[in-house]
Amino acid sequence: MKTLIDFDWTVMAPELTIAGMAALLSVIDLFLHPNKDRRFFMWPTLIAIGTAIGFVATQWGKPAYQILADTYRVDDFAFVFKMILLIGTALVAVISYGAFRREKGFAEGEYYYLLLVALLGGMVMTSSGDLITLFVGLELLSIATYILVGMRKRAITSNEAAWKNVVLGGVASAFILYGMSFLYGLTGSTNLFTMKERLGEALTSGYDLYAWLALFLIVFGFGFKVAVAPFHMWVPDVYQGAPTPITAFLAVISKTAAFALMLRVFLTGFLPLFQGGGGTLVDEETGGRLLLTMAGLSMILGTVIALRQQDAKRLLAYSSIAQAGVILVPMATWGPFLFPSTVYYLVGYLFTTLGAFTVLMLIEGDAGDSKLSSFAGLSRRAPLTAGAMALFLLSLAGIPVTVGFFGKFYILMNAIVTGSPEHWAMYLIAGIMLMTTVASYFYYFGIIRMMYFRPPQRREGLRVPVGAMMVIGIAFIATLGLGLMPQWILGILGNLDWGAALSPVK
Amino acid sequence: MSDFAWCIPLFPLLASLLLTMGARRYSDGVASLIASCAVFISAAISIGVLMETLNTVVPTVHHWRWLSFGDQSITVGAEVNQLNALMLVIVSLVSFLVHRYARGYMAGDRRMATFYAYLSLFTFSMLGLVISPNLLQLYVFWELVGVCSFLLIGFWFYKPEAKRAARKAFILTRIGDVGLFIAVILTFWQVGSFEWEAIFAAISANKIPPEMITLIALLIFVGAVGKSGQFPLHSWLPDAMEGPTPVSALIHAATMVAAGAYLVARAFPIFAASDVALGTVAYVGAFTAIFAATIGLVQNDIKRILAWSTVSQLGYMMLALGSSGYVAGIFHLTTHASFKALLFLAAGAIITMLHHEQDIRRMGGLWKSQRRIGWLFLIGCLAITGIPPFSGFFSKEEILTAAWLSGRVDLFLVGVVTAFLTALYIFRLFFLVFMGEERGKIAPSQIPRVMIWPMVLLTIPAIGAGFLAWIPAHGFSDWLTKGTGILAAPQGEAPGWIPLLTLLLSLAGVGVAWLRYGRGAVTIPSQSQSVTGIHHLLSRAYFVDDLYRWGIGKPYRWLSILLSWVDQQIISGIVSGVGALFQAGGRIGSRMQNGQAQTYALVSLLGLVIVIVGLTAGRWFG
Repeated sequence: MKTLIDFDWTVMAPELTIAGMAALLSVIDLFLHPNKDRRFFMWPTLIAIGTAIGFVATQWGKPAYQILADTYRVDDFAFVFKMILLIGTALVAVISYGAFRREKGFAEGEYYYLLLVALLGGMVMTSSGDLITLFVGLELLSIATYILVGMRKRAITSNEAAWKNVVLGGVASAFILYGMSFLYGLTGSTNLFTMKERLGEALTSGYDLYAWLALFLIVFGFGFKVAVAPFHMWVPDVYQGAPTPITAFLAVISKTAAFALMLRVFLTGFLPLFQGGGGTLVDEETGGRLLLTMAGLSMILGTVIALRQQDAKRLLAYSSIAQAGVILVPMATWGPFLFPSTVYYLVGYLFTTLGAFTVLMLIEGDAGDSKLSSFAGLSRRAPLTAGAMALFLLSLAGIPVTVGFFGKFYILMNAIVTGSPEHWAMYLIAGIMLMTTVASYFYYFGIIRMMYFRPPQRREGLRVPVGAMMVIGIAFIATLGLGLMPQWILGILGNLDWGAALSPVK
Repeated sequence: MSDFAWCIPLFPLLASLLLTMGARRYSDGVASLIASCAVFISAAISIGVLMETLNTVVPTVHHWRWLSFGDQSITVGAEVNQLNALMLVIVSLVSFLVHRYARGYMAGDRRMATFYAYLSLFTFSMLGLVISPNLLQLYVFWELVGVCSFLLIGFWFYKPEAKRAARKAFILTRIGDVGLFIAVILTFWQVGSFEWEAIFAAISANKIPPEMITLIALLIFVGAVGKSGQFPLHSWLPDAMEGPTPVSALIHAATMVAAGAYLVARAFPIFAASDVALGTVAYVGAFTAIFAATIGLVQNDIKRILAWSTVSQLGYMMLALGSSGYVAGIFHLTTHASFKALLFLAAGAIITMLHHEQDIRRMGGLWKSQRRIGWLFLIGCLAITGIPPFSGFFSKEEILTAAWLSGRVDLFLVGVVTAFLTALYIFRLFFLVFMGEERGKIAPSQIPRVMIWPMVLLTIPAIGAGFLAWIPAHGFSDWLTKGTGILAAPQGEAPGWIPLLTLLLSLAGVGVAWLRYGRGAVTIPSQSQSVTGIHHLLSRAYFVDDLYRWGIGKPYRWLSILLSWVDQQIISGIVSGVGALFQAGGRIGSRMQNGQAQTYALVSLLGLVIVIVGLTAGRWFG
């Protein structure tokens, strides 16, 4: 029996760095004068994230390692997702700098260390090999974001959003816990790999109904967290009410972490339900069909409802529902490029969405609202910003030479390769993806037309702070660069040991 | 020279980047000069490359590995073969001339540098499309030209029609692009490669099931239909005339819209392997040709007449390709690019002279005062009509021969009738604009020289390109097909009466137009003149005129009104119906979004229950 000391704790260095800095900042916050400007918290936040990135980078290419009684795993899967989460949070921190200066009663100190706590939760989620760590990570992320959404204390929309987020998030957590309790009852274990073996047995020995019930309950909760239909209802209100950098955080980091969780749980613990264990009532295709249904519904609902939105923030909220549907497609279809295509899309989605939300934040600060008409004439007022925004929108729409095109292409390839006359659902989902992509041009191009084909409402240029400019620049380069040279990231993804995520460390 | 072919598209790209970055810094003249120089270099290299392909017929391909995809690596690169060497020259030359012309046409526009940036970006994309050695790269550039077209149609965004047209163009062509995209994916799935060479090799080795070849070919054709404005995705093209005239000349006449025909030609071995696909191409092309030509008869906007004519001529190219007339299709693409660009530029000159008047009912009598433009326009008209020795005669004759030899008499007849209609509508336009008395009160202003000489240069191919067919011993078609394994034309001996028939019909069309519109006797807009005296009735000319009017003119007018109606009501109806459907769906979705958290949780729960029941119900009861 190993004791706590025997473990190689260095593998936890990224998490410990983030946790340490969050604790440190909260203490510093206590001792600072209440009126002191706390914007400089961004710098320690960035330093912590930078250090964590450095630590994560050292784990590159190392064999998988399990710690804390096999509840915590450090493998290539976790490596990739942690990188995405860390980079994403760093960019969110940068655009937050000074974004709330004029807001009364805005606790800027708390803002930054809650961001770190949320990030920590996300990192725990990507690394968990056990239902307990998984739930702890999930709640850490969720609770931190509940507060972050309501940070603008004086804004009624922000309060409403926070309240809805808490209630509905709580419902989702309850469903997940309920499902987990069934799982524990069936398998007597919370370890995902042990679960996998015993769930297979449970399926063949007459307990299949409970196994499926557990899956459906957990899908309800996970569906909430990744914001796919029919569990998407909270998204527009919360996204609209939250401060825009936090909306970006929800749309990118929360979602990515939840997808990592979903992949882990479904491909390890629930694997028998997707690969078939010989149930009587429900066959093995049901698991995949469940995900296919959710993916298809999200793409259709997200796209169709987005057409009617007059508010850019709500529009992007619905678009993120549709995007979540796309990201779900590889998981639903499997296929040879399941991991690389999902991760590639997530990386692209990270930069594109963050860039778009940054521009939206600038517009919001300038016009006082996020209406579509506030984008009018942006190409005249700030040509470079407008050009970047146009590129982000093209990428979200999936037009070539952007990362979004290649991501969609990769996912489509993956879906079509798995299809066959017996598995016609793969063609169906590919068809839905193409149809909704075309329909989505209507609203993405609505914004582009606003920016380029409408006269500006006012003359003076748009004020672009240095931080936001940097983030837009990075997002621009990444969106274009990864679209032009996908090999750069595909090379990395191709060399990773995805199988390690699916099997326990001996 | 072929070794440097890959850098042909890069010069316009460089110019575009330069212009975008310093849009406010450059004066109009400098911006124009930068863009024109870049395109000129591209054109010079293209000509060099074309010269080289005259001797070496082996296609030169340059690859760079772009990414690995499973165990396949995907490359980007540049390929030079006879077809795309020819296309490179057409695109870069027309683009260069249009670049120069635009200096005069766009003079005074505050966003001249932006205009040139877009125009150069388009040239880059189009050249990139042409030079692509694989289907994926072609698709990428295919989309890029679509985006450029969108930007340029909507360039005068303060006109609501321009904004609408830009959106319509983008959406309609996108519908076609989705077809092409599926074809790209299916091809990769079947062949395991995007390279043209590999695809053709797989087809000739019978590695792909025939029905799959048909499906892929049809999907590629869907893409071509969208881009080339073929029925039923054609209606964006006439609307696209809201863009500046140089754009109409370059993009919506000579190059981008011809990309559809180019794509079919490029992918010709795929089409050749499927009779269904070839037949579809031929019938869609033929129908579009006659459909658009009849509509062209009743339009009154000078640019719209030319736009309908473009749609019709592109239909001719498709008809040729679908009838296995590979060389005929490409030949017509070449000649059309020159004479249609000429017609558009001349029309632009007329529009400039008349202070942006586009309605031909308010033109007329310009021959007296504007003899120079008149001659240029007349050359274009003669070329498109197919009067020898102008270029259109030769290519049209080859198309009709191909249609005849392919054994489809119905298509041949449609082609013949369209040739007559073409002559009719184009000379109706010519006579109304240049003959008769001056109807508008607008005083003509002078045309700057920078707009004249590009047109003068374009007359050279508009007159001379047809003689490519006279190069001894089938030189042109042998050169074009050498090493490709493609038959130049359907087997068989071409009947000698086809050129004669083409010529007679074209002359008849011109004659009818003259009788009806040319003598200045008919005043516009009065459509019918009452017949008063017996002298008039005895007048044979009047009789023929009347006969044509009641026998051909009216029915065609009715037909074209009917077709216009079909176009306006049914096609547009379907398009807006799809939009309305989505809108209605959105309304219901929005209503459920009532802000109540309870409702949200309930909807989610119900959703889950419905999904579960949907997935498992069959097993509970079955």
